[in-house]
Amino acid sequence: MSARRVAAVARRIVAQFRRDHRSIGLLVVAPIIVMSLVGALWGTSAQTVARAVVASDRSVAAARVAAMLDATAGVEAREASYAEGLAALRAGTADALLTVGPGGVTVLLEGSDPLRTGGVAASLQGALRELGPSAAVSPRIEYLYGGADFTLLDALAPVVIAFFAFFFIFLLSTVSFLRERSSGTLERLMASPLRRGELVLGYLVGFTFFALVQAAILVSFTVFVLGVSYRGSLVAIFVVEAALVIVSVALGLLVSAFARNELQAIQFIPLVVVPQAFLGGLLVPVDQLPDLLRPIAAVLPLTYATEALRAVMVKGYPLDDPLVLRDLGVIALFGVLTVGGAIASIRREVA
Amino acid sequence: MDGLAIFAQGVRKRFGAVEALRGLDLTVREGEIVGLLGPNGSGKTTFIRALAGLVRPEAGKVSVFGRAPGQAVAAGLIGYMTQAAALYGELTVEENLRFFCALQGRRDTERAISEALGTVDLEDRRRAIVSTLSGGMRTRVSLAAALLHEPRLLLLDEPTVGVDPLLRRDFWDHFRALAGRGVTILVSSHVMDEAARCDRLGLIRAGVVIAEGTAAELTARAGASDLESAFVRLAEASA
Repeated sequence: MSARRVAAVARRIVAQFRRDHRSIGLLVVAPIIVMSLVGALWGTSAQTVARAVVASDRSVAAARVAAMLDATAGVEAREASYAEGLAALRAGTADALLTVGPGGVTVLLEGSDPLRTGGVAASLQGALRELGPSAAVSPRIEYLYGGADFTLLDALAPVVIAFFAFFFIFLLSTVSFLRERSSGTLERLMASPLRRGELVLGYLVGFTFFALVQAAILVSFTVFVLGVSYRGSLVAIFVVEAALVIVSVALGLLVSAFARNELQAIQFIPLVVVPQAFLGGLLVPVDQLPDLLRPIAAVLPLTYATEALRAVMVKGYPLDDPLVLRDLGVIALFGVLTVGGAIASIRREVA
Repeated sequence: MDGLAIFAQGVRKRFGAVEALRGLDLTVREGEIVGLLGPNGSGKTTFIRALAGLVRPEAGKVSVFGRAPGQAVAAGLIGYMTQAAALYGELTVEENLRFFCALQGRRDTERAISEALGTVDLEDRRRAIVSTLSGGMRTRVSLAAALLHEPRLLLLDEPTVGVDPLLRRDFWDHFRALAGRGVTILVSSHVMDEAARCDRLGLIRAGVVIAEGTAAELTARAGASDLESAFVRLAEASA
């Protein structure tokens, strides 16, 4: 493995696209347009069953309150310790943690999905009103993640960013490598000391550069222009982004082996990109997918990238959080498989 | 096998139903210019690709300077000019050459590029974007790219297709100069008048070399007046 040769391939890719202003423009402008549309389109409102936990160690008559809440429509309630309730919120198995004190009711909402949060808050307020006038004295609402002004756009921004990184970089790498095959330059490269692994690695480095530039612009646009609130570190966002991009570049190289021309390559979009858009968390949160579709979502790299980006952007998790690490691990596994497949596909084409 | 640049014996290669090489034999000594002459589809490109390590024959032996082709490529002994120009159209001439230089591991990039461009007489087009060049110029850049690392064997797959006669003459002057420096050249062609410029010829048809020798030897052996009719007679005799 020669770093000089890998660097030569990466530099060449950057130089080629530097002159392709239209591709660069699309890479940045298209996601911004779509992101703006998403921002204009999605408001907040929905009807949901609220999963509530009443903190037994901080409430008066927790068991009775839990039972009464559970009996009302739109709420499933149980009692548990405050710590257990907090863990359930973090794990996504509960939506709200209630503390019923003499001074009134405090509701801690999970808050990372505004669609759900709005529904949960509405259901809980209704249920509390049924409990009696004392409980209904406006409960104090707090948020574990997000906040009262947290919108659907705030929640979806990480997903949209992940999707566009994946989609555009997949397209660019498919077509670039297809050109490499069809113009005969791959033949020339394979008749040089360049190894297949070095070539693939060079592509990964070159395209990751573009993906990070794209992400920097897109994240800045969403944060500063669209005013999306975000927590966590930029570095964490970039790490997840880079991991996802490696998969999409390798997948692009792999797909280019099965396409004879650019038209055919575009026909792979419905196969590779659309399922990820529908099932990877862009349109519907993965945990709300029908049971039949969940196993498919589990084998899509975007599912994990979306979850990890949401964790670091919305919930402010650090990179070494177990959930983020697990997602990055799965993405890395996809990376190893697709990179291996990409390298093998080059051997098949050129003996 | 001292002094042998190319040694090929009984080389066979099949692509699906098509048998591209059917027991091809050819030897080329160091410093020779050998022409591989035959019609389209006779197996010229497949054989050249086998020498460049791009095709693995099913049977037979292929060696380049006594090594397996893949090793010879890794050692930078082979320069391969493909039939299509095989360059990056979005990049300048210099950027293309710089890239191929890095792949070959040559350190004195500037000198290598200047020399290669000098050889193909394109110094003034150094900063031109390749896609804006004429076909003939692109072919010259392609040759320059194959020369960058000073290979000992040049494989040229129909290098003068679509090249005007004046430029073709220049090309052959380049080839002759390179051979003078000890570079071995294997050049494929289906143009008979080019063949006369080679030291030796291999007539290839349907995946086998049907005759080998100088142009004069081959015409004499066939009892023909020119190379084209010699090719026809030798091909008929071998069928």
